[in-house]
Amino acid sequence: MGKNQPGYFGEFGGRYAPEILTEALEELESTYHKLKKSKKFKKELEFYLSNYVGRPSPLTFAERLTKHWGGARIWLKREDLNHTGAHKINNAIGQALIAKFMGKKRIIAETGAGQHGLATATVGAMFGMETVVYMGAVDVERQNLNAKKIEMLGAKILPVTAGEATLKEATSEAMRDWALNVSTTHYIVGSAIGPHPFPTIVRDLQAVIGKEARSQFKKQNHKLPNAIVACVGGGSNAIGMFTAFLKDKHVAIYGAEAGGLGPKPGEHSATLTYGKTGFLHGTKTLIIQDEAGQIVPAHSVSAGLDYPGVGPEHAFLSQSKRVDYRMVTDEQALDCFLEVTRTEGIIPALETAHAFHVARDVAKDLGKKKDLIICLSGRGDKDVTEVLRLLGEKSK
Amino acid sequence: MSKIKDLFESGKIKSAFIPYFTLGDPNYNDSIEFGKTILDNGADILELGIPFSDPVADGPVIQRAVARSLKNKFSFSEIFRVTKEIHRHKKDVPLVYLTYFNPIFHCGIEDFLNQAKDSGVVGLVIPDLPFDTKESEVLFQELRKRDMDLIHLVTPASTKKRIEALKKTSTGFIYYVTSFGVTGERREFSVDLKERIRFLKETIQLPICAGFGISTPDQAGQISGYADGIIIGSAIQRIIEENGHEFPKAKQALAEYIAKIRVAIP
Repeated sequence: MGKNQPGYFGEFGGRYAPEILTEALEELESTYHKLKKSKKFKKELEFYLSNYVGRPSPLTFAERLTKHWGGARIWLKREDLNHTGAHKINNAIGQALIAKFMGKKRIIAETGAGQHGLATATVGAMFGMETVVYMGAVDVERQNLNAKKIEMLGAKILPVTAGEATLKEATSEAMRDWALNVSTTHYIVGSAIGPHPFPTIVRDLQAVIGKEARSQFKKQNHKLPNAIVACVGGGSNAIGMFTAFLKDKHVAIYGAEAGGLGPKPGEHSATLTYGKTGFLHGTKTLIIQDEAGQIVPAHSVSAGLDYPGVGPEHAFLSQSKRVDYRMVTDEQALDCFLEVTRTEGIIPALETAHAFHVARDVAKDLGKKKDLIICLSGRGDKDVTEVLRLLGEKSK
Repeated sequence: MSKIKDLFESGKIKSAFIPYFTLGDPNYNDSIEFGKTILDNGADILELGIPFSDPVADGPVIQRAVARSLKNKFSFSEIFRVTKEIHRHKKDVPLVYLTYFNPIFHCGIEDFLNQAKDSGVVGLVIPDLPFDTKESEVLFQELRKRDMDLIHLVTPASTKKRIEALKKTSTGFIYYVTSFGVTGERREFSVDLKERIRFLKETIQLPICAGFGISTPDQAGQISGYADGIIIGSAIQRIIEENGHEFPKAKQALAEYIAKIRVAIP
């Protein structure tokens, strides 16, 4: 691989994984290359997306929110209405099919907020595959509902206690499992991260979000929106939303990343703002690290954004300035979580609440008669207990 | 000529004993003493781990060692200071660093190599930097300029094509990963271990040293019968873990263990 070869987005991306995984990554790359062109695979994927996931997801005009914010017209791409309640299922179904084509009988996954773990456990149950989900012990606590659902679906949850016991450690542990069981197991990476070809596969499988949003909006309004917004942790819903609009130069694109508690290292997960180029979990990307190249623990009120790295394509889109990435603090996200819930009757995931905050500013800047689509990446049932706890703390 | 090549071509050893431990566990000054103890009791090459926060190729024992080390303030100046002290103790034993690529990249490849060489290090093992990356090529060229070695890992899953391809940028020795998975003590190894090592010896004109999972004198004795060297990490690290809080005891246990393994290797 070289700088301009597949797997790189500008200087970012590539394959920096332990040698033991190389053959599996090469097998995955060549299988995916074939499947991408296979009518049978496409047909099967489309079948499950429409008959199991419930696609296309609606594009909803948010009338009350539009009035409330008093700026651009707000549209919501409703990934929260997918089966399992988030965009993660698009990728999990696709990768489970790839695993099936490769003859792998066991699937593993890492999960932060639990949505990817839930999606993987769901497809594991549906395809009859042995499923193991690595989840940070801290996340098992704060996302307990999802952890319970995962177990109920027949998957095994392995809580990871190392380090900060969140998504970064769960990812490392999943990679170790894969190294041990590489011949029988497919690792369903949950975000647009990891060694090549994962960022490309995840992007392609999530691109359905943006493709649908673009054509739904065009059909209803006979034009394209002025702006789109999505939240970014690893960045899979965002890259899925953005891909269809990247060439539309007049469509402004915004990403919302977790500003957490503040700008100090350890207080946030704002990789695109504070990250430096480095190597983590098999890819070259922007990473929150200290002056000696040690990875700094990330923080976010949202377990799904709590990751010190970001998908390499986002690093490239940030560097090339095609996408404007902005930070949203925990408090701002919490405020938006309630505002959207009470105004529009939709409880968004805490991750998505970050996107809503950026969207509110952008909508005001754009002004009336302009249009903005927010990728509503998932619903917030999983966050209700945590939000109530935080609001309780705040009111003390 | 590289010091590692010198060692293997000298005819002084039949099979090399290559112990590993993580610098800074439980602290940097104890690491100096552990290094000296290991050298005194019979290491042919010493592999020093530079801790990295996310060691994906390592099992639980080394992960815990890294976590303990990083509780101390990590700095390259400490790493190089400790390395120099260990090197000064026995200058004829080649020192090798094992670390992940991010800290090296962050330090700057040239700066890192200059300081590593100055500290007595003659080679690098980097588990997450495949040979077919641009960065590995740059690193290899820079190492060559300094007569230092780039030691690549070959695994039971490495294809013949990859093994052929990595020959061009491999020097020192090949680190043969004896089993699937991560570092850590094991009871059994893959049945074709001997054949794989023989095949590698025929394909790559470099010494083949086996690591990942070796811990007992019996295993060391058996595998060193057909490998050019054996690498032991987790078992050593476990001794430090279990006794590190009591320095003299840790030193004693380490000395005994190293001596036992040394005797087992022909």
